[in-house]
Amino acid sequence: MSDTGMIEFDRVSKLYPVSGGSVTALHDVSLSIAPGEFVALIGPSGCGKSTLMRLIGDLDQPSSGGLRVNGKPPAQARRDRDYGIVFQAPVLYDWRTIRKNVELPLEIMGSPAPVRRERALSLLRLVGLGEFAEAYPQQLSGGMQQRAAIARALSFEPPILLMDEPFGALDEITRERLQLELLNIWASAAPRPTVIFVTHSIPEAVFLADRVVVMSPRPGRVRQLVSVDLPRPRAFETREDPRFFALVTQVREWLRSAE
Amino acid sequence: MPTDQPHTAARIAAALRRTLPVVAVLIALLCLWEGARLAFAIPAQRLPPLSAIVETMLTRTQGGNGPLLIAQMLVNAWATFQVALGGFLLGTLLGCALALLFLQVSTLERGLLPYVVGSQMVPILALAPLVVVGLGRAGAPPWVARMVVVAYLTFFPVTVGMLRGLRAASPESLALMRSYAAGPWQTIWKLRLPMALPYLFTALKIAASASVIGAIVAELPSGAREGIGMMILTAAQFYNSRPPALFLAILVAGLLGVFCYSLVALAERLVVGGPRRRHARGAE
Repeated sequence: MSDTGMIEFDRVSKLYPVSGGSVTALHDVSLSIAPGEFVALIGPSGCGKSTLMRLIGDLDQPSSGGLRVNGKPPAQARRDRDYGIVFQAPVLYDWRTIRKNVELPLEIMGSPAPVRRERALSLLRLVGLGEFAEAYPQQLSGGMQQRAAIARALSFEPPILLMDEPFGALDEITRERLQLELLNIWASAAPRPTVIFVTHSIPEAVFLADRVVVMSPRPGRVRQLVSVDLPRPRAFETREDPRFFALVTQVREWLRSAE
Repeated sequence: MPTDQPHTAARIAAALRRTLPVVAVLIALLCLWEGARLAFAIPAQRLPPLSAIVETMLTRTQGGNGPLLIAQMLVNAWATFQVALGGFLLGTLLGCALALLFLQVSTLERGLLPYVVGSQMVPILALAPLVVVGLGRAGAPPWVARMVVVAYLTFFPVTVGMLRGLRAASPESLALMRSYAAGPWQTIWKLRLPMALPYLFTALKIAASASVIGAIVAELPSGAREGIGMMILTAAQFYNSRPPALFLAILVAGLLGVFCYSLVALAERLVVGGPRRRHARGAE
């Protein structure tokens, strides 16, 4: 197994204790993710894709196997603030303005107020929320709140971005717009962050990713890796490309065979 | 969407909408009082007419040379208020400290909480003399003992409310803090505490009313020379000769409780109300 990857899973399993035994959330997962790679994790409920993400983030610990994040144990990577995370819910703190929410990680990391402010404002402009900096989260639509959550995750320029169904609660139109925006933000960052993107949506996975990891449930394992050779930058028209449809079909069939 | 400064007329209308129900209930209560008195022919000795209470309110004390009775009552209420406030702050501090302790060390919660709950089952009427006499023997001034009694009554709702609030943060918002490698105090200060404020203020409202009761009860065994509790006691002793005075004292004590509650409600509006209410209105 190479050790040049940004994220290296080496025969990782995760068991959760339940009454009268344990349930296997992940079984024998080996996976290598390159620096700057955009990887989508897809699979039915219970396939362990969120667990996989939580292991990278040191929000959960593997039961067995080896996991390296940015060349380090996950706990060390977390302490070094190597990743930013975005959940399905925006999880903005409602007593803080949008700007203060985006500043939160920098505040905790002890960066000075003027620096934080500058950084937050430029990120908010990047995600199209420049004029909402001093608004409170509840004043914003779901899509805008999720944009703010992405800005917050990017605020300290982590080399890894973990996204757990970030667009899952949004309507289709907002969703497609945010997919494009995310790709633009990702492509314009130097160096590009490594993105782990958990999703339920096949077109979303294919549209965004360099590689789609198809997972199967009970126990959760990696079923198939599908390389997405669609050219970048991807655009609205990408979704009308016959190659896009072919890949969507391919992923769908792997998912069906994974049942 | 309303602008930052609503029209003056709209503002007055809003104020009226808030105060009108209170005034209406007050008038209804006064009518009920007089109505019941007349309908059931209750003697003035048992239920004095409102006019007699107002009259008593405006009589001069000390045989006609002292201040008005109502003024004297208010001065005494002020003395009680000071004790209530001191004890309330003491109890709030203790309650918050206990909640933080229980949050950090759950073993302590399991061990101590039953006793904290048990402490509230002892009637304060039985406990107050013990505290007052005990601390008095130890040389503490009586107002210290009275504040301790108040704190004893107030720390409990604060502990329970604050602990609940400190635990109200969602797993995801906590995971977020963990992902930033935030220290335990950063997590408390930037997430758990702001999250706990609405819970804390609910507890403080209960504690505020309890603090007045505590301060009044603590006056009884301490031989205090001033305080609304003493006024109630005195008025009760002279009930046969002047019934309205007792009703007046009870009324003033009740108003003191309302006043304390309102202070907490005002603080809540200033602290929590600010951004959270503003965006609630702006979200139209």
